[in-house]
Amino acid sequence: MHFYQDPQFGERMITLMAALVLVLQIAMVAQRWLVTNIRVFAAQSFLLAGIATTIAYFNNAPHIYFVAVLTIVVKVIFLPVLMERLVVKIELRQEIKPLINVPLSVLISGALTILGYVVAESFYHPEAGTTPATLGHNTLAVAIALFLIGFFMMLNRRKALTQVIALLSLENGLFLAAISLTYGMPLVVELGVFFDLLVASMVLGILVYRIRETFDSVDVSKLRRLRG
Amino acid sequence: MVLFLLLIVPLIAAAIAFAARRRSVMEAVNICAAALTFLLALTLAGSILSSGTVSAMSDLLYADALSSLVVLLVAFVYLACAVYAVGYFRDDEKSGIFEDGIVGTVSIGKLREYYALTPLFVSSMLLVALSNNLGIMWVAIEGTTLASVFLVTYYGRPNSLEAAWKYAIIGGVGLSMALFGTILTYYSAHTVLGTETLAGLNWSVLVTKASQFDRTTMRLAFILILLGYGTKAGIAPMHTWKPDAYSEAPVPVAAMLAAAMLNCALYGLLRFLILTSRCLGPEFASHLLIIFGLLSMGIATPFVLVQHSFRRILAYSSIDHCGIMVLGLGFGGPLGVLGMLLHMTFHSVTKPLLFFCVGNIQQHLKTDQFRKAKDGLIHAMPVSSAVLLMTTLAVTGSPPFSLFQSEFTILRAAFDGSHFVPAVLFVTFLVAIFAGFLIHIARLVLGPDPGVPDSETCVWKKYSLVGLACFVVLMGFWLPAPLYALIQGAAHIVNDVR
Repeated sequence: MHFYQDPQFGERMITLMAALVLVLQIAMVAQRWLVTNIRVFAAQSFLLAGIATTIAYFNNAPHIYFVAVLTIVVKVIFLPVLMERLVVKIELRQEIKPLINVPLSVLISGALTILGYVVAESFYHPEAGTTPATLGHNTLAVAIALFLIGFFMMLNRRKALTQVIALLSLENGLFLAAISLTYGMPLVVELGVFFDLLVASMVLGILVYRIRETFDSVDVSKLRRLRG
Repeated sequence: MVLFLLLIVPLIAAAIAFAARRRSVMEAVNICAAALTFLLALTLAGSILSSGTVSAMSDLLYADALSSLVVLLVAFVYLACAVYAVGYFRDDEKSGIFEDGIVGTVSIGKLREYYALTPLFVSSMLLVALSNNLGIMWVAIEGTTLASVFLVTYYGRPNSLEAAWKYAIIGGVGLSMALFGTILTYYSAHTVLGTETLAGLNWSVLVTKASQFDRTTMRLAFILILLGYGTKAGIAPMHTWKPDAYSEAPVPVAAMLAAAMLNCALYGLLRFLILTSRCLGPEFASHLLIIFGLLSMGIATPFVLVQHSFRRILAYSSIDHCGIMVLGLGFGGPLGVLGMLLHMTFHSVTKPLLFFCVGNIQQHLKTDQFRKAKDGLIHAMPVSSAVLLMTTLAVTGSPPFSLFQSEFTILRAAFDGSHFVPAVLFVTFLVAIFAGFLIHIARLVLGPDPGVPDSETCVWKKYSLVGLACFVVLMGFWLPAPLYALIQGAAHIVNDVR
């Protein structure tokens, strides 16, 4: 048996990649430049596609290959290119100004990661035998951490486009949870989710563009006229 | 077949409207599609009443009494809005609200936006109610947001952009929570069903096995679903997008958001509530629902009392009614669920009328601020004002009207379940909102004659109002027996915890 057929090896690969995904998420929190942020998101999505492929290979689940390809097309290529073009088009000032300064943000992200592990612990029943979750134990914790850090990023950022990136990385957390817990959702559902993601990004992109044109800024803290 | 047609008819209407070049074509297509959808919804309800459940496309689409009720309400609101929209947009065009004001390309483009996106919005709402697969249901609910974002920015004002941004972002975050909840539900069922097939997320399959689901996972899943679909329904504290979206969207769209989409979001919640109650017993969900319901009513009350805009007051009324429905579910038992479903039905019939009246008045006054309006509006707009006064009484739950019955049923459910403190708070909030509404609307409508001539000339706006008003009055005294049977059937599905 070759080493690449050993399930142990696959599990280690998945854990390694999941850890890298988490590192990239925290890098996104710490990163100040918008374009770099978009590229980090693309890299993170690429790793997710890698995780999906590994799971598909070791579990003989051909439909997950399809999901992996879709991830690469949509999240690694299409959306980042779209967002970078939007950045150029609206001549955005390149710096993200978070509400909370970077060191404290990273510290908060660390705390959220620990919270992710605490929550994931409650799903882990070693006595129940080899359910899919035994593989997903680490991965689920990472997924929950991605979800929580994504939330935090949305609250922490003021510019419209950076909020969209945060929302997409939050969605990545969900993708990881789905793939590690249940080896992906049924294919029809996955397709629907991807379609929604695509349309949602375009809708939000158009809104960002119009906000820029109307308010001469994409700072959502200036959207404060509707009250009460 | 009916299920399939229900989804297809609005899509065809959207395609035709997209290609159409004349206003009259778009109007005719939209009304025809709405009427056809409503007839199909009636057919579906009929076949559900006679034969139980209907399914199609290898169980991907599935309808029982509960989904049929929601489909019927969505179709009704669509029809009412389609008729009202004709007069509304003609007046918009006349008043030159679209920048250059010349009747021509700009306004036709705008109309096309409305007449093409609205059927898409309706179609995805119908898909919410008809899909058996909980994942597809999520996709459809997200679809309702995406189809309606550009309807909220219809007027292209800075304020409408702000409203649409809040709507899209808050909705997106909320629905991501709901997706997580759906994934967790799938996971908790996964070990029981042991299949990787599509059926693993089919509600009709899940409901039979719900008692064996993993309890810890299901608990977390329900909390996420409540927060997620609660955001979409506008339960406090996730309601902040609502006043903005409702006051910036064109009136027919706002009416659809308030009376039809609200039902769809609550429908999503209901489907998961049934699974959760079977898995964990009713108590767990009940406490959460009572807290969120009371919170929604409590947050709506002060905003209704001090409101300065007659469009935003409707949104707070909608938050209040959403709270009432969630509270009804929380009280539970046969009466609570029945009360909730009755309330959903009556609310969907009454709320569009309130929006239409306020829309007429806003178009007449060109403002939505109470203080900029002169008193004695009833002299300048006798029909709209009189109907508005009547609908205000109906919406706040005054006795002759139907919403009183459902609110009273929910109150009885509260005493049945010995929830005395929530019951007292429920009545307090209802009375406060009644008072707030009546003060504002009475000040707007009643008063000495300012000597302005009767300005209501548009027959479409006038008669769509009067027709719907007759229906609202009729519902106060007579609930058709088949409709009541459908509501009871739906309540039975929710209550049937084995």
